[in-house]
Amino acid sequence: MERALTEKPHAETVPQSGAAGTILNGHYLPPPVDKDGKQWVRTSALIVKSTSELYELWRDVEKAPLWQEQIAEVLVTGPKTSHWVMLTGDDPDKSIEWDSEVLNDEPGKRVAWRSIGGDSDNAGEVIFEAAPGGRGTIVTVLQEFRMSKLASTWETLTGRNPKQAVIENLRHFKALAETGEIPRIQGQPHGPRGTSGNAKKSIYGEKVATPAGEHQLAS
Amino acid sequence: MKAVCWMGTSDVQTLTVDDPRILNPHDAILKITRTAICGSDLHLYDGFIPTMESGDILGHEFMGVVEEVGKEVTNLQRGDRVVVPFTIACGNCLFCKKKIWSACDNTNPNAHLMEAAYGYSGSGLFGYSHMMGGYAGGQAQYVRVPFANVGPLKIESDLPDEKVLFLSDIFPTGYMAAENSRIQEGDTVAVWGCGPVGIFAIASAFMLGAARVIAIDRLPERLEMARSFGAITVDYSEEDVDVLTAIKDLTGGMGPDSCIDAVGLEAHSTELQGFYDKVKTAVMLETDRPSVLRQAIQAVRKGGTLSIPGVYGGLLDKVPFGAAFGKGITMKMGQTNMHNYMKPLLERVEKGQIDPSSIISHRITLDQVPEMYKVWRDKSDHVTKIVIDPWAERAA
Repeated sequence: MERALTEKPHAETVPQSGAAGTILNGHYLPPPVDKDGKQWVRTSALIVKSTSELYELWRDVEKAPLWQEQIAEVLVTGPKTSHWVMLTGDDPDKSIEWDSEVLNDEPGKRVAWRSIGGDSDNAGEVIFEAAPGGRGTIVTVLQEFRMSKLASTWETLTGRNPKQAVIENLRHFKALAETGEIPRIQGQPHGPRGTSGNAKKSIYGEKVATPAGEHQLAS
Repeated sequence: MKAVCWMGTSDVQTLTVDDPRILNPHDAILKITRTAICGSDLHLYDGFIPTMESGDILGHEFMGVVEEVGKEVTNLQRGDRVVVPFTIACGNCLFCKKKIWSACDNTNPNAHLMEAAYGYSGSGLFGYSHMMGGYAGGQAQYVRVPFANVGPLKIESDLPDEKVLFLSDIFPTGYMAAENSRIQEGDTVAVWGCGPVGIFAIASAFMLGAARVIAIDRLPERLEMARSFGAITVDYSEEDVDVLTAIKDLTGGMGPDSCIDAVGLEAHSTELQGFYDKVKTAVMLETDRPSVLRQAIQAVRKGGTLSIPGVYGGLLDKVPFGAAFGKGITMKMGQTNMHNYMKPLLERVEKGQIDPSSIISHRITLDQVPEMYKVWRDKSDHVTKIVIDPWAERAA
């Protein structure tokens, strides 16, 4: 098949296996489906920064509260471990905590992790690949949660569904990496919202606090 | 401060709200000196654009004086006089680098809403629904401008506000519409809608080499304005006038090389299809009323270009796609890539080649805005463009 066309002046080599199981033998594979209590989310973003810059920003886990929603604090506890504190909703006194361990660390390319005890059962990986045509980096995140459907539905109603949170966090990561801030409207003036305005804010996910952002860009 | 708030369909109120403050390092706060009501604000007023929340501050055409800047804004300082583009762009993403500023990846805090509706999210806009970012708008005394290092255009000459205010949207929007219509020297261009965007599209079509411009509307003051810019006018509401016949009569049966739909989703039609669309939108089977779009597709010549600066928001019914394919036409559309046009168009104003303020019919205070939304919607009182002085206590 490779020889069916010989004139492809800018074509790049087809990867045999792509990020987070997206490509296998030159063929696209869909994301894993939810089953047996496991929920999966796979999302990607093209970011105009180098793979190594993005890897460094991601790997600096104590900075995660700058761009991950609801994360109050992250403490590095060892070469491969960290402790995470996450707010769960409107009540600032309520939080969940867990420890996380890096399973695989390939600088500039990939980080894989899993939780090792605490209030959250999750695992995931992030892959940094040069985008076709030298247009930046494709960052792909694959994350898995163990959580009942009921709990997930509850999360959707009270704040952010964890799957959507992974998607939003990658969006925040991209904005922070490309611009040095995360776009926000919380804190701007408005007239009285009334019942319908407030209901819409919840439905649109506008009640989840936008992370702080504010990251000094390497010039 | 005083601000114009959307409180529901056909309900706009001037209220006292908190002053805006710096929220991000690339923000600036402006004291607004002039602002305006846009034709597209009527889509919000009439409830055609989803994801508005009661209390939202309206307005996306404004200019003012820099009051305060965030710590990463190095190109502006307190006291600078600026015009602000209605699309917010970060300047760093792939789209901004390609100069498709209105497709910026990083300025819509509610990108997921627009992704759900459109597949991908465009840039954030001021005062134009939560799907488009939920940013507070500029029909107010102060406004917060995100990414102030990228968008605002400094006005360093002593031109009055009224001559440069429309660089915030409608002049660049009309210009991009003409550019999108791919005019070649000697072309004939037909423009539907002689509101402000249509007028600037007519002017820009001539600037870009059009030999003849045909302008279509029904309001005498607008047709008069179109003639003052050099167009031949067609009043579609006159008895016995059929727009398609008129266009054939004025182009030797050939059809215009380019057509510009400067009307958008709330088109009025005297024909049966106008009634059809009103019924379908009323029962939510259709969100937009595309009668001008249908007519423009029908009218454009074989191999011609259709440019669409008029706003469409959702689902359209009975669009003659067969005609579009059969004639091999090109369609170009979208929110204006403001940042490409503001500076070159300012130069044209500075050289005196065009006076954008000539379209203004009403100068008002913030307190008059609610009643003027109604006048603007009903096209009463010979209205052509409404400009607001947010600090005036009584009308000029």
